[in-house]
Amino acid sequence: MRSTVPLIITFFVGLFMVFEFFIPHWGYHWVTAEFLEWGLILAAGAFVLGLINLVQVNLPKVINRDEDWGYKLIMLISLFLTLGAGLMLGQEGRQDAGEFYKWLYDFVFTPLNATMFALLAFYIASAAFRAFRARNVEATVLLVAACVVMVARVPLGENLPFIGEKLPQFMNWIMDVPNIAARRSIFIGAALGAVATGLRVILGLERSHLGGE
Amino acid sequence: MTELTQFDLVGAWISIFLTLCILSFLYEDNPIYKLAEHLFLGVSIGISITEIYYGVFKPNLLLKLAGGRWLSVIPLILLVMLFFKVSKKYSWVARTPIAFIVAAYAGVKLTGEANANLMTQVAQTMPDLATSWAEHGFWDWSADGAGVFSDVVLVVGLVACLVHFYFSRVPPSVTRYGAKLAIFAGVGVMFFTAAGLLVVDKAGPFSAVFLGMLAGVCAAMPFLAFSTYRPWVTRFGVLMLMLSFGASFGYTVMGRISLAIGRAQEMLGLTRPMEQVVQIHPRIASLVSIVLIVAFLVVWRMRGGGPKEPEPS
Amino acid sequence: MYDLLQRFQNMDRRWIFAGMALAILIPLLFPVEFEFAVDERVSSLYDAVEALPTGSTVFISADFDPASRPELEPFFRANLDHLFRKDIKIVMATLWEFAPPIAVPITEEIAAAHGKEYGVDWVFLGYKPGKELAIKSIGENIPKTFPTDSRGTPVGEIAVMNGIKQAKDFPLLINVSAGFPGTREYVLQIQGQYDLKIASACTAVSGPDYIPFYKAGQLVGLSAGMPGSAQYEKLVWAESEPPKGTRKLATQAVNVLNLGHAYVILLILFGNIAYFLTRPKEVSDD
Repeated sequence: MRSTVPLIITFFVGLFMVFEFFIPHWGYHWVTAEFLEWGLILAAGAFVLGLINLVQVNLPKVINRDEDWGYKLIMLISLFLTLGAGLMLGQEGRQDAGEFYKWLYDFVFTPLNATMFALLAFYIASAAFRAFRARNVEATVLLVAACVVMVARVPLGENLPFIGEKLPQFMNWIMDVPNIAARRSIFIGAALGAVATGLRVILGLERSHLGGE
Repeated sequence: MTELTQFDLVGAWISIFLTLCILSFLYEDNPIYKLAEHLFLGVSIGISITEIYYGVFKPNLLLKLAGGRWLSVIPLILLVMLFFKVSKKYSWVARTPIAFIVAAYAGVKLTGEANANLMTQVAQTMPDLATSWAEHGFWDWSADGAGVFSDVVLVVGLVACLVHFYFSRVPPSVTRYGAKLAIFAGVGVMFFTAAGLLVVDKAGPFSAVFLGMLAGVCAAMPFLAFSTYRPWVTRFGVLMLMLSFGASFGYTVMGRISLAIGRAQEMLGLTRPMEQVVQIHPRIASLVSIVLIVAFLVVWRMRGGGPKEPEPS
Repeated sequence: MYDLLQRFQNMDRRWIFAGMALAILIPLLFPVEFEFAVDERVSSLYDAVEALPTGSTVFISADFDPASRPELEPFFRANLDHLFRKDIKIVMATLWEFAPPIAVPITEEIAAAHGKEYGVDWVFLGYKPGKELAIKSIGENIPKTFPTDSRGTPVGEIAVMNGIKQAKDFPLLINVSAGFPGTREYVLQIQGQYDLKIASACTAVSGPDYIPFYKAGQLVGLSAGMPGSAQYEKLVWAESEPPKGTRKLATQAVNVLNLGHAYVILLILFGNIAYFLTRPKEVSDD
């Protein structure tokens, strides 16, 4: 019973959403629009579940003074400070310049978020030096294509003598022909996989999302 | 002149300091980086939940319930059931809303992928050789290499990649037929394409035969998956993949460096109007932050911080 | 020589990081500008906006965050200026929770520069989680998905939303996309079903993935990464200046990529040279 009802729901809701693509009737779409709205609400609920789990895992570590408890305390304090500021300032207030929530976003979150990803520039340079070796024909082709794209995509490449005009055209050819051939084959494979997985889920053959008994 | 408040000036300096805290990870993992990382985690989750509340819970649930819409009780019940997931004893209650979400996603993904990734992409791969020949000929540099050569390479490359993915192993008994089927398909398509172009499109004999041959090559390719020539086909497919991945790598390098450029522009004050730069002094802020962080790292190292040497056994 | 090459290959990666930092800082401090051409994909995007009749309404999905600002904010600003200059109304929303505090102030700034009024000429509907479900919902019924705008005003009371029920009511959708969910999901979920015209500005990492969509006609234009944004800036501000407070950041930054890319290519080159020169000795030692 504990698995049967969810499986039945999976089957009917899944089929309903599949047929939404094919059935243009306004009544059918009224129902699917409801389902989609419920799905949005539940997806949002999953985020809150994640928050509860985060607090469940980290709060005992802070209380028991486990390893790195200080950092976890900083995380929890900043989390609730931000949440509190956002909820107390209200829907319009939180977006106003000068308010604490906006300040946290502009001067704490933005530099941290942006710099986390900026680190990747350095690691990609390190990887390029240490790991990218032309050990065989295929690897050489990969590296040559990468170098062509890197040179042709920047203004300097377009202004090189002799090859400056042809290089971007050749790069565009690589993007328009081999790249599309490879990507389409990957998309087709992924689409077949997604269709198969979707059918498995809807038909109840895939039950991992329901967890154990 | 735009006057920045003291709050904003302090914030601008903190922003530069936090940027350099994260960049200190390039030297090595250290407490100042960990502090910034955990601060980031906390603030980002706080922002997420706040936006989710104002973006979904308030307009799509609470306001509708307050307005007396009885149908909104159903997602409320499902939401409450979802929160039973935190309980070990009653987590089974959450299966129903999870099943609903998973089914909804499975349904929309199935049709979306099948239509856009499968049907449309396959349909667009079929080349219109006659139009391509008329507009671009064999190869047109001014159109980035468009032409019938590129069209055939696209089709042959796509088939080769699919053969590489799906036909890594073929029973030897089947490989007897592949070459024969390829010749049959190739010649057949070549004949009908050439005939069609001659009769319907009134194309010249050279064009008709040439385009027919190219169409025949495209048609013959899939059958070579079942022949002894399969390794040649898969090798060509791998070369296509390598060209694509190389291009991806080039774009990825560009993307990552762009992000670092953005941070550097911020720290040098190049993103702000001059009036704000004069108030904030971002370059001085950067220098001060670097001095503070380096001083911290030196003291931390002197006190035994950093990676520990493994004890001799 | 062999030992030197071995040491070179195994050098502390912090030297490489330092080199990368210099490759970024030097061109910013001592800029050198080169001319660049505009891609056909970016031209198509520009033309798609140019073809919009005055007074029409477009949907913008601003799906980016601070991490992707350097690549996408320049496009976003140029696009808003382009649209407002043509008196085109904007309905904006986002699928990324970190987008509203960036997208809204920028839009307010550029709207004010053009004398555009919130609610009449543009509206920000807010953020919706749910990824594909949210996109499907936008395709299906926008007022149901966004009962209020981001300020809490019911959409029925917002002038710019008059007559707008579904995604197909817009002649053009513009997706400023930093990743997932983004352009791919819009194309997969609603482009084909409703035969929508979608233009995309994406990060460089996603560029190769979206080119097949452009070639298949599922996208009417594509701007990839910082070069794409710089090219779009060039088109939009070919004969005019950006609004006050907006700089041509992508145009400035794209020339910094010259040295950055050259550095990475040299690393690959020297790394491989050192590898091949040391390899015969390793093979003969075996």
